[in-house]
Amino acid sequence: MTELRILLGFAIFLCLCSCKHTEGEYHSLNDKIEEEGKKYHGTNISSETYIGDIETLEITEGGHTFLIPERKGQLKSYACTECHSKPLSEMQNNANAQRAHWDIKVVHADENAMNCATCHNGNAMDHLKSLTGNAVDFNRSYKLCSQCHTTQFEDWKGGAHGKNIGGWSEPRAAMTCVNCHNPHQPQIESKWPVQFNTQKVKERE
Amino acid sequence: MSEKKKWFTLDLGFNKKVPTASSCGCGKTSGGCGSHEAPSPSKNEHAMTAEEFDKAVEGTMVDETRKDGFQQVFDVKMDRRTAFRKLTASLLVGAGAVQTSCSVIAGEESKEKAQIDWEEQFKGNYKLMTQEERDATVDRLVRSYQLRKKENIKMSATDASKNVLFGYAFNISKCQGYMDCVSACVEENNQDRNSQMQYIRIHEMKDGEGFKFNEADDNYYHEVPAEGHFYMGTQCFHCDDPPCVDVCPVQATWREEDGLVVIDYDWCIGCRYCMAACPYDGRRFNWSKPEVPEEEVNKNQHYLGNRMRKKGVMEKCTFCIQRSRAGKDPACVEACPTGARIFGNLLDPDSTIRWVLANKKVFRLKEDLGTEPKFWYFMD
Repeated sequence: MTELRILLGFAIFLCLCSCKHTEGEYHSLNDKIEEEGKKYHGTNISSETYIGDIETLEITEGGHTFLIPERKGQLKSYACTECHSKPLSEMQNNANAQRAHWDIKVVHADENAMNCATCHNGNAMDHLKSLTGNAVDFNRSYKLCSQCHTTQFEDWKGGAHGKNIGGWSEPRAAMTCVNCHNPHQPQIESKWPVQFNTQKVKERE
Repeated sequence: MSEKKKWFTLDLGFNKKVPTASSCGCGKTSGGCGSHEAPSPSKNEHAMTAEEFDKAVEGTMVDETRKDGFQQVFDVKMDRRTAFRKLTASLLVGAGAVQTSCSVIAGEESKEKAQIDWEEQFKGNYKLMTQEERDATVDRLVRSYQLRKKENIKMSATDASKNVLFGYAFNISKCQGYMDCVSACVEENNQDRNSQMQYIRIHEMKDGEGFKFNEADDNYYHEVPAEGHFYMGTQCFHCDDPPCVDVCPVQATWREEDGLVVIDYDWCIGCRYCMAACPYDGRRFNWSKPEVPEEEVNKNQHYLGNRMRKKGVMEKCTFCIQRSRAGKDPACVEACPTGARIFGNLLDPDSTIRWVLANKKVFRLKEDLGTEPKFWYFMD
């Protein structure tokens, strides 16, 4: 009987000692992240200065709040109504009018899915337009992209798609869709690598 | 040594134990190892009289002896008094050496250079340094650069912050093989231009064949992305249980509290054990003196990061410690035009890296080794 008790006691002792949680060691990295993340109270490191001169605006989408670059100030000919003083239909009918935006070619989905009017409202050029006809600010153009590109939108909000700006700490700033993709031709063209290691070639000869 | 000490201590006779010859760091038991200069030669092995001591100090001696190297000093029975005398003598000899070497060249600057070199030569392991000692070595390195190159650098020795554990994620579907990251890394971290050392490798792999690093091309030069290929980058993965750290015989590399695996370039002996131990080809060795054109030197440096290295030491990616500890993204993250590189704090539940780990199907290389790399791959 006493032997059994000693054995039991030893077993309990083993159970208590075998787990190293109290010593700050974990079974796996995931355990460590989870456990130490519970005590997380923020850091005193700020990434604010690394955003630089970019004008930003704060957006909140699906529980994620972060900064994106301001867009309207970057558009060469905004506000559009400086030229588009009349609805588009009236301007197009004028034979003497200058042709503008001749250089813009839409290579985005196909003609059945998209044309200029999918995103632009000929009667209110200062705003973009959603599929249902609601006005969308140029600064929040991601709302248009996300109508079709839903998975990319989810990834972008979480941080898996798109480029982070500045630093890893708070405040989070990220590029918005149009900072990388030309909305009229969103496909990014292939290019040459920026470097070639000639020494590596020699070493491997 | 029976106690697990990280440093060598002179037995001053308190323990009444006779120090053995094998206590030298070089492990040689006969003859001189050359790692210790003979501070006081004495024909009498076992004791030293005051007269002999004085004579030795006066003449700064160089006498023929039967035993040389450390044995002269350590392989003798001595009392505390003699030990202190011997130590004083060796210090005087050392100081004398500095004095003479300086006075020959003359000039304040060269004297200062010699003084800095002397102190740098005999500084300890960075891990064991106090904050004052760390600041002092940083100051010395900055001053040394100023004296030699007439340029000012900014060097920090910022410690790991609490509540920070750095992690990295790499999107295989987004990487297009532009190699902007590789170039940015070289420029940021002052890597040797002659040997074109690079911490990052971008592997061009065939679609549908899985990860075959032996068949992948990591030095392509054609328009990218190439048809039917995908790209994945490797660098130091900053393992949480790094095998490179375990094998280092001199503890010149270690994992910091924020998860960065770093190297003390001044403590590294260049044995390359770590290079052999790393299962990810994450470490690089300086076979020659690293050369960087003065105008290309990144002057924003960190002691454990991108400060100038020397010949015969290891180096590797530090997640740009000089940037990341200040809150900035590593150079590769900043340079990547595709957003394939994601960097952040693993302990912050709201960080983007945590979102990726929780919401994307992530994996790591050679997970079965148990090295716990803090570098994940994922796909869209």
